[in-house]
Amino acid sequence: MFTLQLSNDTLPGMVEIPNLRTLVWAISTLLELVLMCYLLRKKLYRSHPVFLIYVLTTILQSAVVASSYKYFGPRSVTSFEIAWGSQAVGISARWFAVAEIARRALAGYAGIWGMTNRILFVLGAGVLFYSIAASGSLWTLVVLNADRAVELCIAAFIVGMLFFVRYYRLPMSSVERLLAIGFCLYSCFCVMNDSIYENWRQPIAALWNYLDILTFLATLILWSSAVRKYEEAPGASAHLAVSPEMYGKFSQKLNSRLQLLNNRLNHLLRSEDPRS
Amino acid sequence: MNMVLLLFVSLAIVLMLMLAWVARPPKRVLLSVDQVFETLSEERHYARLPQILQSLRHDDTDFLIGSGHDELAVRLRGERKRIALRYLNYLEEEYQLLLEASRILAKIAPEITPMEEFERFRRNARFVLSCRYLRLRLHLGLQPWEVFGSISDMEGDLTLWLEAATARIGEQAATASEFPLFLEKGHRSSE
Repeated sequence: MFTLQLSNDTLPGMVEIPNLRTLVWAISTLLELVLMCYLLRKKLYRSHPVFLIYVLTTILQSAVVASSYKYFGPRSVTSFEIAWGSQAVGISARWFAVAEIARRALAGYAGIWGMTNRILFVLGAGVLFYSIAASGSLWTLVVLNADRAVELCIAAFIVGMLFFVRYYRLPMSSVERLLAIGFCLYSCFCVMNDSIYENWRQPIAALWNYLDILTFLATLILWSSAVRKYEEAPGASAHLAVSPEMYGKFSQKLNSRLQLLNNRLNHLLRSEDPRS
Repeated sequence: MNMVLLLFVSLAIVLMLMLAWVARPPKRVLLSVDQVFETLSEERHYARLPQILQSLRHDDTDFLIGSGHDELAVRLRGERKRIALRYLNYLEEEYQLLLEASRILAKIAPEITPMEEFERFRRNARFVLSCRYLRLRLHLGLQPWEVFGSISDMEGDLTLWLEAATARIGEQAATASEFPLFLEKGHRSSE
């Protein structure tokens, strides 16, 4: 009853598939399959197994939702539950795929990873709770709000991760960079799309579904292009590591220098001319 | 259009702009590990800093204005602003070197050091923000010498080690500018 109320009232029910939208859906599923083939051909399943699982999940999601629409009808409660349930699985898989990219980019550097994983997860959790708190109080939109909060959390996590990669000038392969950019752009568009739907609801439900598929299609094109161009690097060099004693020595020296510079600036900023 | 829509659309746009900024390819690494550690073991000197700070005080420009040399006072203040910016440039150069060293050290850091890294990251961020703020003040002409003015009074607060480490930058700033010559000319014309 609750879900029926939701689907008929405020939530985009993923219903009524007009021809154009069906065509875009079919194209996106086809592109998912192409991406899957590229991933297998380039042997990226070895280095990015979670991303492969994510792509597999999206293919299965398309198949499951299409089947439910066919057998239960697009406006049935069962179809609605299957559609949103599979969406939860898809978002979870996306989260793991993003975490895999972050781990691959940062975990090779123990000190950096030790710091950044804590910051990134705190940032992600903060954005998640803030999004939920800032969302509208309409209880029938709780699923949509949760979806938007998770999307925003993923986008913030990726921006944070790329910030650290840039700040520390860490090497990141082009395929990983593009996968991360694709995830982030898709999440940002989902946030906008969900917010626009929340404001206007049923009159734009069809457009909402259409834009969602179109955005995902663009992301798939970006990923497929990145994976197609991927060339395996000829053996990455091992990271240099120093002993804790040596690290402590240099670390102390660096911190003192930075402290010195900050003291300088502090004095410059805080000092006031008593005569003025 | 309600506030929630506006808030989330704005957040998404801000995130996309930030993505465009962070996804740019990083700048070329300028120093090797050895170069950075070698530079870190060198001493830096700011021996002329007190003189620079003294020269940035109000006294002589007030005197010039009082004696009717307004144009000269304006020129002098312009020169002082230039010197202050130059000094800030040297501080930033030093900072860039330390930042490069921080990056290299972070890459080779063992597993036990997340707090060390966090502390250094915090200091880096603080320096960048302070530096930008000070530079903005200088560019906006917010009488930076008033801010700089009492720095020399604070010299005693800094330890000898800090002085030794910063002395070279001050010396470079003093040597590179034509400030002493200009001051000398200013004093002559006021006489």
